[in-house]
Amino acid sequence: MSDPTLPPDAGPEEHDELLAAEYVLGTLPGEDRRAARERAEVDGAFAARISAWEDRLAPLNDGYDEAPAPDLLPQIEARLFGARTPAPRLRWFSLGWRGGALATAAIAAVVFLAVTLWPPGPAPVVLRADLTAEQIELRFAARWDGAAGLLELTRAQGDAAPAGQDYELWLIDETGVPRSLGLLRDPVTQVRAVLAPGLTLAVSLEPEGGSPEATPTGPVLAAAALDEA
Amino acid sequence: MFFRPILLVLRIPAAILFLSPVDRVLANEKGWQTNKEWHRRLTEDLLTPLLHQVSRQDRAAFRDLYRQSAAKLTGVLTRMLRDRTEVEDALQDVFVRVWQRAAQFDGTRGEGMSWLVAIARNVALDRLRARPEARGYAHVTARSDAPEADPIAQLPASGPDAEGQMLAQADARRVVDCFGELEPDRATAVRGAYLQGLSYQQLAERHEVPLNTIRTWLRRSLLRLKECLDR
Repeated sequence: MSDPTLPPDAGPEEHDELLAAEYVLGTLPGEDRRAARERAEVDGAFAARISAWEDRLAPLNDGYDEAPAPDLLPQIEARLFGARTPAPRLRWFSLGWRGGALATAAIAAVVFLAVTLWPPGPAPVVLRADLTAEQIELRFAARWDGAAGLLELTRAQGDAAPAGQDYELWLIDETGVPRSLGLLRDPVTQVRAVLAPGLTLAVSLEPEGGSPEATPTGPVLAAAALDEA
Repeated sequence: MFFRPILLVLRIPAAILFLSPVDRVLANEKGWQTNKEWHRRLTEDLLTPLLHQVSRQDRAAFRDLYRQSAAKLTGVLTRMLRDRTEVEDALQDVFVRVWQRAAQFDGTRGEGMSWLVAIARNVALDRLRARPEARGYAHVTARSDAPEADPIAQLPASGPDAEGQMLAQADARRVVDCFGELEPDRATAVRGAYLQGLSYQQLAERHEVPLNTIRTWLRRSLLRLKECLDR
């Protein structure tokens, strides 16, 4: 209340306004700055004050001259997409995928798992996932060799699918839409694929020959996110 | 001999392809100041759709965005961090954040470049405030504008006048006017804080006034700016 740097009649409104202004101006010391950012993440009104100040002061940006920029795209892309991931189909984490994930209610929990396990670093060469069914005795060990681009699934526990049915392997990226990687009939199955940490593999029980649809029709028995070996 | 005419024919369109749309228009523009303003406006127009594409994980658009904005953002980071190695690290951080947060870009609210500069300033400020001298352990340079051996320090450090001129060209006359309503040294302090990321401590030393005084200056100036800009 007795802060001499505040106007004498400053109320809580004005205090927030000044905090947002100082955050955008950049003068807050490290700890206050962190605290303000954390508050903006949960306090929409405060975040709006920050946005308004960014807009107000944006014309000052003309005071920044351009400077010769190094070409850092290779390093940036390596950080974002991993060193070697040429597959155009793989999509990566962003806020935009969430709607799709929720629509696929059956696997929403699985996708959540994928996101929480998301590591920020470049893609490692070997990824693993352990697909253990909860309802029945069935376990697949997945191992992806990035150098070879080969995904190998070994049925570590349990039998082949019952007669007239098949186990089908699915890849779920952050769009939440499963994509079939083929049937798991043999004790060891190899599939060519371009994968990344955080993507999810799932096994469903389908009619013989696989799902008649583009997505699983039978129950999802097991699912796990790919992680660094 | 036979191939040479074919190569020549192929080379011309290739040369055009290497020129961005901005450069092609610029090639027809005259005068440095007009160019700068044109470049700014055209870049803004191009960046907003690019950012929308990036929010849909379009990697080609991401590369275009880098080519269109890296020079400006390098200018921002250089002005604030004044250390080439750190600028390069920070530029990577900026574009990683841009990719991850492009979905949060609201094209209706502001221009693409303003959004990008805000991210770059935040990255730079986080780094500046994490520096040891910011925590009070050591004070390396009292005046961060002092000439340094690093050639990066020789980059144009435009004074208030140059900045004033640039602002006047832009459609930011209102901001210029509102800054004009502040006392000159306070306007300089606000600008120095914004453009260079100066801390209260640095501003206090630069203006040779106590820390609390500078904070009072800036806070009152900010409130007056808000009152003037929202008028």
